Amino acid sequence: MVLGFKQETFRDDYTYCNSPREIKRFPFPFAEDRYMYSVNIEPHGKGKEGSVFEFALDIDEHYVAECIDKEITLEQDPGRYESLSHMMDAQWDFVELSMESLARDYPEHFSLKKNGLQWTWENKPLGIKDTFTFGDASTLAMDPFEYMGRQAQGDFVLLDQRDETLYADAGFVTTQADWSLAFNVGMSWKEWHGPVPRVTELGVMDRALKYLLNLQLGSPVRRLNWTMTINPRLDTSPESFPRWGSDRNTVNADNVGDRVHLRVELQSLFRLPRSNAIMFGVRCYLISLNEIATYPRWAKRLHRVLKDLHPDLIEYKGMTKFHPTVVEWLANFDDGVILELGTQPE
Amino acid sequence: MERGYWIRSKPVYTSLMWQEKATSHLVVAQGSGGMAVLKIFQQMHPKQPITVLYAPSSDSIVDYASTLKKVVPEGLQLFDSVQEMLTTLKEILPTMYMGMRVYVAGSEGFIWTIAESAKEFGIEDIDMIKELTGTLARSIYCVHCKAITHNITTNIGKCAGCERMLFVRDHFSRRLGAYMGLMVDAESPGQLPEIEEIYP
Repeated sequence: MVLGFKQETFRDDYTYCNSPREIKRFPFPFAEDRYMYSVNIEPHGKGKEGSVFEFALDIDEHYVAECIDKEITLEQDPGRYESLSHMMDAQWDFVELSMESLARDYPEHFSLKKNGLQWTWENKPLGIKDTFTFGDASTLAMDPFEYMGRQAQGDFVLLDQRDETLYADAGFVTTQADWSLAFNVGMSWKEWHGPVPRVTELGVMDRALKYLLNLQLGSPVRRLNWTMTINPRLDTSPESFPRWGSDRNTVNADNVGDRVHLRVELQSLFRLPRSNAIMFGVRCYLISLNEIATYPRWAKRLHRVLKDLHPDLIEYKGMTKFHPTVVEWLANFDDGVILELGTQPE
Repeated sequence: MERGYWIRSKPVYTSLMWQEKATSHLVVAQGSGGMAVLKIFQQMHPKQPITVLYAPSSDSIVDYASTLKKVVPEGLQLFDSVQEMLTTLKEILPTMYMGMRVYVAGSEGFIWTIAESAKEFGIEDIDMIKELTGTLARSIYCVHCKAITHNITTNIGKCAGCERMLFVRDHFSRRLGAYMGLMVDAESPGQLPEIEEIYP
């Protein structure tokens, strides 16, 4: 199906919003009335037609606007792209995975023609057409990972596997929920998860790592993670915290439905064939509380999850200042009816 | 801090202990780290070849150089500054063989300065024995302007690069040898919490 790409912004005047179709396919993460961390990993197989899980890399109506926003962020802070010198094989793995899946899944927008190692890549929405030699970085205008990182929605981290752990040794990170690539690059699994509260006690990280070390080629996995963001801002990085930190003070009963957004990360993990690295994709979806409330079931569910959220998680997710306002607003939608298990909107 | 809360990125420092199976030993220390060197030479004088590099530090009142001269049996080299020591270290490391063990003692900033130099020669920090001595002062990486400010002893410190007041997050990068610093009043400009010395 041919997507119409919207012109919209993720900063300044924040014109971003979701069409009814996009709201309906939003990856709502709460199947139950309560939330705590868990190893909620499942196979990233071909999902339902039209859902965000249908394809390896999801492209939606925000594609062009998000790629433009990525460019702005990267220009302000080139440190959002980093790659340690031993990651070049993984970079080409990323190029292959992203180009092949986009061309296969969205043939009306992307095409890839291979003539031996001479590849021609066309990205119609962004007006890009390049011929290059696969495996020869000098035939592209920039690092291969950066080249395709700019042309896919979401963030990407390439994890090198050695010493029985994973190292975040390369990344293209412009839509992150308050973590710093420039600070974390080169860190091991345990180090970069250091600041996440409660997970050590739960043993979540150890089990997830064990699982991922055995991730097989051709059997990608995914999980959902979430937080809340004021305004539909993709770049909620620590680097730009001085620009968005004070937004948290602006939430009140009148604007909460418009300003406060549920931010869901579709995290996917793919084993890569040449490097044996893992591609970790973090695709960010934003939806305002007003948009959520177009499906009363979701509003009720979100109300219950947030009302009883562990105080450590409220603090860690940066929600302390506006959490009560959000819960109060959502309470208006919650009649207390029992909700069946599941994330569906209706 | 909540009891039981443990920041996994924060390095664990131990006491220097000889690795008896080593083929040679390289001991590097600054300031009060000299005491740690004296301590391991009380444990034993290893049979294998020994190199000891020592520089005094302004944050240590005691200069252990003269005592080290009496105790260290061979291979002691004394320096006036860490800079001079690093130059020598980079000359020594290419001449060393597999099986050498590295021991570092001093401030956290010093330990990770040495680790950075050693890494250039393929020595991972996990293979170095590290003892933190004298001070808990931290190096802070400013996540906004990327400058690193050394010797911060308070919960909030001023960035030497952009002059923002930074909250010192308990999150450590071995590659940068520094803790993360975040603008403390970004949410409410001008509102600073009380500044206290907590890393004396």
